[in-house]
Amino acid sequence: MGNDKYVVRPMQTFSGAPKNKQIQTDNIGVVEEGTTATIWDIFDSFCVQNETPESEKADYLETTVNTSKGQEKIGEKSSSSSTTVSTGCTISSMSEMEMSGNSLNVESDSQLIMSSESFQHSLLVMERSIVANTFQPKLAAYRQLPIPEDPDSTVKPGIKVQSEEGEESSLSPTLERLWAFTCELSRGRNITSMAWNKENLDLLAVGYGDWDSRTEKPSLICCWSLKNPMWPERVFYCQSCVTSLDFSSNNPNQLGVGMYDGTVAIYNVQSRNNVTCIANSRECSNKHLHPVWQVNWTKKETTLSGMDRGEALVAVAADGRITKWLFSGNSLDCIDLMKLKKSQHFKKNTVETDVIISPMTPGLCVDFHPTDSSIYLTGTCEGLIQKCSIFNSQNFLDTYKKHFCPVNHVEWSPFSSDVFLSCSSDWTIQLWKQDLFTPVLSVTSSQRAVLAVRWSPNSSTVFAAINGRQVEIWDLTLSIRHPTIVHHAAAGVRLTSLLFVKGNDCVLVGDSEGQVTVYQLKNLSVGEGKQVDRLNDIIHSAVSW
Amino acid sequence: MAGTEHAEVEETLKRIEVHKGVIGTIVVNAEGIPIRTTLDFSTAVQYAGLLRTLTIMARSTVRDIDPQNDLTCLRIRSKKHEILVAPENDFLLIVIQNPCE
Repeated sequence: MGNDKYVVRPMQTFSGAPKNKQIQTDNIGVVEEGTTATIWDIFDSFCVQNETPESEKADYLETTVNTSKGQEKIGEKSSSSSTTVSTGCTISSMSEMEMSGNSLNVESDSQLIMSSESFQHSLLVMERSIVANTFQPKLAAYRQLPIPEDPDSTVKPGIKVQSEEGEESSLSPTLERLWAFTCELSRGRNITSMAWNKENLDLLAVGYGDWDSRTEKPSLICCWSLKNPMWPERVFYCQSCVTSLDFSSNNPNQLGVGMYDGTVAIYNVQSRNNVTCIANSRECSNKHLHPVWQVNWTKKETTLSGMDRGEALVAVAADGRITKWLFSGNSLDCIDLMKLKKSQHFKKNTVETDVIISPMTPGLCVDFHPTDSSIYLTGTCEGLIQKCSIFNSQNFLDTYKKHFCPVNHVEWSPFSSDVFLSCSSDWTIQLWKQDLFTPVLSVTSSQRAVLAVRWSPNSSTVFAAINGRQVEIWDLTLSIRHPTIVHHAAAGVRLTSLLFVKGNDCVLVGDSEGQVTVYQLKNLSVGEGKQVDRLNDIIHSAVSW
Repeated sequence: MAGTEHAEVEETLKRIEVHKGVIGTIVVNAEGIPIRTTLDFSTAVQYAGLLRTLTIMARSTVRDIDPQNDLTCLRIRSKKHEILVAPENDFLLIVIQNPCE
């Protein structure tokens, strides 16, 4: 207070003149974003987040950086999803704007899309769905499912009344046509053989070829699937006419093929792009030079230690040899199982008249015993059926003599291991028992060569036969003199090939126009009692006459 | 190789387009623009836009229930016809079929 050191001193500072300055900024856009944290969104982001820390070190700082990055990503992702969800109405307007400007982009896009694998897969599934829509009632009948009526169908009710009247008259056994496997590739080609795949029972291989035509059309093998009766899944072209097909059971993707020029080949049907013919007998020195009439996969005999049984392809050809082909590495090699010599009986008659170069008779068919795979039957051009064993390549075990024309097909019964059927160009079908040397039953119905006969895999007394103009279904419990069902081919069409379907009452018939028609056996009565017993009863009653 | 694949794809697409009962086919790219169609362009754009939204909704539903699951095919059966949609990440394949002719 009274100190001299303190002096009061006023000051004045200049205050500058204020000046107004204006600035302008860009509009700061404000966008409202909403998002729904869906479960899959969280899951996806979690997956992506899990992938990134694996490649980086797990440092605390870096993990925090990661989580912030992750959050940004989540933000981005959810924003992208929300824009597409909430602004759906603007997409069409956006697309209209874009389409005017980006025609170049569309071109490259379409190329990219069309060549992508996922597009091919989508096309495959889409084609099958569309075809299944069209064929749905037929496929349901094939699988023996009930066919409900379509409530939106535009079929008029007048037609329904007619079908009801028709039903009353059709209680007798008959064949109902379901559909036909046919496409432009196969139209007009003669079908020579058909085979079901052993693993996928809906896959059918069909061989097309004509060995006496003059045209140079290459022979064809098509693999059809039940999922698409309008276009085959695989198409293979062969140089020579295909005469016989069989799928392997050990490797279900291998298809054995026998051809008219004597070639035996194995095809791999699994892949579309890779090499399909995995083995060919052209380089083998011991190959057949005459048409191969049948090929059959058979299990090899077990080794002493009971190791797994491989499979071998057995072929029977017109040069009288039955050969077993072994597939090793990339090549096929064969050993002879049997040479079909002409029998003594015929030799005496023909030694003066004919000039015979080879003393062997062409073999036409072979079938291995269903349980004992070392025994097989083979039918020859002379009409004899020889029972042979793979251990004995010099002599036959037994000879069954009844036919006097080439035996076209022999088949063991799938139910009774003693019984087999044979059919021949002498118009007859014979039913044999293994230990009797005269046939138990002999049936004939028309005066035409019987091209093929097959046992039904579902009923032990039913078999089917095909003879060029008609398909006959025989049921031995109903009648042994007349076929139960006879179905005639259309005019000008020759029926050439026959196959049963396991598990339901359907039969496939191949003809000379390239169509494989699927028929359903209707109203065929199913007997009671065990399958084997029914067949044995019939045989006993026939033998005791 | 790519050439034959392309030819196969073209053939399959043509077979679908001429199949019995098929009214139209549309291939839509990732931006929602139809790149190949047998219908007129405005109808195709309409279908593409509407079905894109629906497909996203359907996929969201399926994945909400189980995020490891995914939508493979969408079929809408209406009184007059059936719309089949094959949804993928970068495209959409739409087929309209009238199955009961």
